[in-house]
Amino acid sequence: MKKASRNVPALFLLLALALPCSVLAAEDIKIGVLFPLTGGAAASGRELRAGAELALEIANNAMPDINMAMAKNAGIKSMGGAQITLIFKDHEGNPTLGADLAKKLILDDKVHGLMGAYHSAVTKAVSAVAEQYGVPLINDSSTSPELTKQGYKWFWRTTPHDIYFTKDLFEFLKGLTEGKVKGVPAVPKQDIMNLASACEKTEWGAAVSELIEKFSKDYGFEVKKSILYAAKATDLSSEVRSLIAVKPDAMLFASYASDAILMMKTLKDQKAAPKLLWGQNAGFEVPEFVTTLGDTTVGSLTRTVFIPKIAQVKPIAAKINTMYKAKTGSDLGGTSARAFTGLQAWVHVLEKAGSAKPADIQKAANSIEIPGDELVVPWQGIKFATSGEDLGQNILGMGLIGQYQKTADGKIDLEIVYPFNVATANMIYPFPKF
Amino acid sequence: MDILFGSIASGVLLGMVLSLVALGLTIIFGLMDIVNFAHGEFLMIGMYTGLLTAQATGMDPLFTLPLAAGIGFLLGILCYGGFVKFLLRGPMIAQLLGTFGLMLVLRNLALLFFGSEDRALHHGLLVGRSFDVGMGIIISATKLAVAVLAVLSFCGVWLLMNRTKLGKALTATALNRQGARYMGIPTERMNALAWGIGGATVTIAGALIVNFWSVNPYVGLIFTMIAFTVVALGGFGSVPGAFFAGLVVGFIMEIPGFWDFFAITFDIGWMADVPMISLKYTWIYVAYFVIMLISPRGLFGWKQ
Repeated sequence: MKKASRNVPALFLLLALALPCSVLAAEDIKIGVLFPLTGGAAASGRELRAGAELALEIANNAMPDINMAMAKNAGIKSMGGAQITLIFKDHEGNPTLGADLAKKLILDDKVHGLMGAYHSAVTKAVSAVAEQYGVPLINDSSTSPELTKQGYKWFWRTTPHDIYFTKDLFEFLKGLTEGKVKGVPAVPKQDIMNLASACEKTEWGAAVSELIEKFSKDYGFEVKKSILYAAKATDLSSEVRSLIAVKPDAMLFASYASDAILMMKTLKDQKAAPKLLWGQNAGFEVPEFVTTLGDTTVGSLTRTVFIPKIAQVKPIAAKINTMYKAKTGSDLGGTSARAFTGLQAWVHVLEKAGSAKPADIQKAANSIEIPGDELVVPWQGIKFATSGEDLGQNILGMGLIGQYQKTADGKIDLEIVYPFNVATANMIYPFPKF
Repeated sequence: MDILFGSIASGVLLGMVLSLVALGLTIIFGLMDIVNFAHGEFLMIGMYTGLLTAQATGMDPLFTLPLAAGIGFLLGILCYGGFVKFLLRGPMIAQLLGTFGLMLVLRNLALLFFGSEDRALHHGLLVGRSFDVGMGIIISATKLAVAVLAVLSFCGVWLLMNRTKLGKALTATALNRQGARYMGIPTERMNALAWGIGGATVTIAGALIVNFWSVNPYVGLIFTMIAFTVVALGGFGSVPGAFFAGLVVGFIMEIPGFWDFFAITFDIGWMADVPMISLKYTWIYVAYFVIMLISPRGLFGWKQ
């Protein structure tokens, strides 16, 4: 008995020596993910979460039939197969709450990195916190150009931003006047000259509104009216009346989920008759937009980074889309595809870093290059700018413009209309009357 | 000219909607002199009642009105009997803080049960229907229904207050509670009744409004502010005054439309550049401030 008790400390010592090694080997990589899971953009929040979770499932398990580097191993190979854990937090679209949650994730949950936060205004607040604490933040889906112009060293963005997207819009309008759009003969410029825009008035919408003004001057169009409105508004009738008053040829919107639906309902209610209706992604792309509004959406355009039709030309997109559909019941969209890609970028960065130390992650993020054929989105790849004005911006991204069209079986699908060389259908022009 | 006529028509319709929203507060605050900061939350409960009943049963949202009225009436009486009547024993500040607390409780209960998401009705007999009557005037069927209900409700309440013994008893209670009690009027019951009627009118309004406005637990605040402005503008104690004031506030909210009319008709560049739409709710608060400054009793008020 005495002998046995003498051995107890030795046993403890052995255990104490053995434990850290085993813990280190299996240590999880914790990534704090900030998304709007409730509030006006909750529909987008659900999409984002599902996209990130699917990428997580692939990263943490070996799925050799998927042609992606992150699917080859279970966990992060360079870190002994470490598993990734996502800690989701709901910021409700509120920048102050977002910043508080980011601090909690860093200080209490001791996360190794952050991802999010969809709303550009929230991302801006969260990026300041990440910069302060020196914690890497990969942004997957916020598109205000301002975010990568802050010169932050701990911030990287995979999605193209609104300068790319708004330029795409004006290239598309220019193409419309030059007869480049599939199925539409050249439209005289004076027929599509007058524009009106309504954008939600936080960081993202305000930036889009300014870009529309800027590019319209560059491309020789005229913005007759530009409105900033509150995304939480319960009524948009005076806004819509103000837009209709200037008799615009094209109506352009930057709206989050519930306000995009309210905007379309009010446009229908007020019998708006634009020749072209375009939404800057976000609310115009969540599945609820179509399920709620049905045929009202037919003919409307949205910029995006993913349209299920891409699957026809990109096998990897088809594979992931099938998995996503099995999991959620709906196709991947621009929102979910970007969250998926955001986490995929995280996995590549961790794999390259080989450690969870912030400095190693920073070094890895600044040097990775993910080839385009690994991505579900139709980009040339992911490579972050390490110098210049757009610090941390993925320089290999690009956008698409899709149009909601009714298929033969009565379903409403997004068809690609821009870039012109990958158009999947004839464009419906002019926009059908409500 | 289209935008001018369109804005006038919209101002009238919106004004009637806002009158109906404010009717309950006219009774509780304007007549009975009890402050109720939770008024907008009653409206929010009416909106959720209409929405959830229509979604759960599949019936048209219009048929949910009687249920909303019943819930509002019970809620009003319950709030009065279980809470407000104790506040009346204290100073005025007790009413202010007490009903402010009630507002927070109701809002957070809604948050707990329904979440913070915006919810809206997308199907119904009137939902999404509108009539183009020419000259830029487009009448939305749902707003027209609320306007009709507003006229009926105001007539009903006016008749109740001016042509019935019950109305006289309510007025007497409002004017001098102690005196009324000496005359044999059950003042407690009168106050409870006022809260019941006030609650019922505002929840009916909510159940109709949800046909065209989305609802979330925070929606009450803006309506509370608007309702207080309407009551203050109309005058304390005046039912027709509240109706008229609702119309005025409707026009105030259409100021951006009138602004656009001048900017476009006379081609005034600087006017077109002013973001009037972003300020559309600001004018309500400005109006409230100005009314309180110039005529604290309101336009038609007769009570001290």
